[in-house]
Amino acid sequence: MRRLFYLVREAWVNMRTNRTTTIVAILTTAFALACVGIFLLLYVNLRNAAGSLQEDVKVMVYLEDRLPSEPVRELERTLKTDRMVDGVLFISKEQALGEFRVQFPSESHLLEGLGENPLPASFVVTLAPSFRSPDAMKAWVERVQTMEGVAKVDYNQEWSSLLARLIGYIELAAIGVGILLSAAAVTIIGNTTRLALLARQEEIEILRSIGATRTFIRIPYFLEGAVLGACGSALSLGILKFAFELFRQQIQLTGRFSGIEGMISFFPLSVCLALVMVGMGLGFAGSVVSLLRVGDGRA
Amino acid sequence: MDAIIQLIHVSKWHDRRAALSDVTFEIEKGEFVLLMGASGAGKSTLLRMLIAEEQPDEGQIFVHGKNVTKLRASEIPYLRRKVGAVFQDFRLLPKKSVFDNVALPLIVQGASEKDIRRKVTEALRAVDVDHKNDQLPNGLSTGEQQRVCIARSIVNGPVVLLADEPTGNLDPERTREIIELFKLINARGTTVVVATHDPHVLKYVNRRVITLVQGVLVAERRVGEGVGG
Repeated sequence: MRRLFYLVREAWVNMRTNRTTTIVAILTTAFALACVGIFLLLYVNLRNAAGSLQEDVKVMVYLEDRLPSEPVRELERTLKTDRMVDGVLFISKEQALGEFRVQFPSESHLLEGLGENPLPASFVVTLAPSFRSPDAMKAWVERVQTMEGVAKVDYNQEWSSLLARLIGYIELAAIGVGILLSAAAVTIIGNTTRLALLARQEEIEILRSIGATRTFIRIPYFLEGAVLGACGSALSLGILKFAFELFRQQIQLTGRFSGIEGMISFFPLSVCLALVMVGMGLGFAGSVVSLLRVGDGRA
Repeated sequence: MDAIIQLIHVSKWHDRRAALSDVTFEIEKGEFVLLMGASGAGKSTLLRMLIAEEQPDEGQIFVHGKNVTKLRASEIPYLRRKVGAVFQDFRLLPKKSVFDNVALPLIVQGASEKDIRRKVTEALRAVDVDHKNDQLPNGLSTGEQQRVCIARSIVNGPVVLLADEPTGNLDPERTREIIELFKLINARGTTVVVATHDPHVLKYVNRRVITLVQGVLVAERRVGEGVGG
């Protein structure tokens, strides 16, 4: 117990003695990890957005004009029995016109002059969740397009594949920036540990001479590294949360992108804790790197 | 009697200069030995080898039945726990109290709180600085600092106590006190080896003397108590 207390106290004394170095290490680590966090936050939110967009993907199957009711029912049966289809909703020409008038009241006069309702009847098809990938959707659309009575099939293919590509790029950037800045955090904490080590070289020699093992000498420095990493990580999350709330507030104030503020979210508590643990791990790794050649027991 | 320290044809070179040259001797369990020689004679090198801070270039060294030259790095701390060391520069931690400095070897070994309190108090009492428990080393006189250093070296009951120029910074009166302290520790069963260049130390001991000159063992003899160099 006394030994544990001693080791923890030594780590604390190390940090207090080298206060400036400790603060600088925490701040720079926090900054580095906040940069990684920005990409991670962007990635997580885009993934969520893509997920909800995919859930909301509807394919519009427009029918040929004046198609008799029998082929329409036949087409509806075919679509409903398709294993890739989750739901089918028929929109008649009249319903389409009604919806247009509701959605675009100021433009409804445009249709007045045409006399006859120019809007086609359609089926709104919701695909089964396992067939909502861009490739599966494309294959399904190509197949339906050749069916009798179908004039056109429309879906937001470009938008969904663009989003998928964007997520891919952000994922790559997050990994790249993550590796680079994590290495920076490891180096920063490693250097801090090395400075603490140099400052206490004499003490280490004394510990060696009285029979301290390599592990005993190293533990305070490992603890110090882990604490620095955890503090840096926690601070970076604080900075990110602050920036995130500021961003959300700005969106609300400007009134642009209304609805987005409800879609974006910060990391859940479990992820925050995991990120603090990652920071702790990076700090520990930094200490390990700088202590690799210390305390081998011989002068 | 059993040899607790044994050097067999030990040689060591520092930058092509022989720090120790073919040194062979034994120290029996419970002996008090003075290792005499001028600066650079190889005394400190020899003591450092006994706690595996240095390795000989040739020869074998046995301490408490262990071949020090063949110890793995992970075994060295356990050797050092059996061999207490006292240094001329005391090597006390300036920011720790006297009590904490002396407790360090016991903390390192994972002793219980109760044992630490009891053994540290005993060790400090043995060297007569138990009233300075809470003070920092810098607030003590050099003689007291040396006593604290000795308390730290005996607190975990080592089988051997090595002292490298322990009286180098002390006046004749303090020197005599420290040597008396070593004799007391020796009387309790600990083998004591004191390395010194100071011939005045011989005035206070009636023990075996090993003399080194430029790394060569030139004499082994006993001196009479109260008899000068």
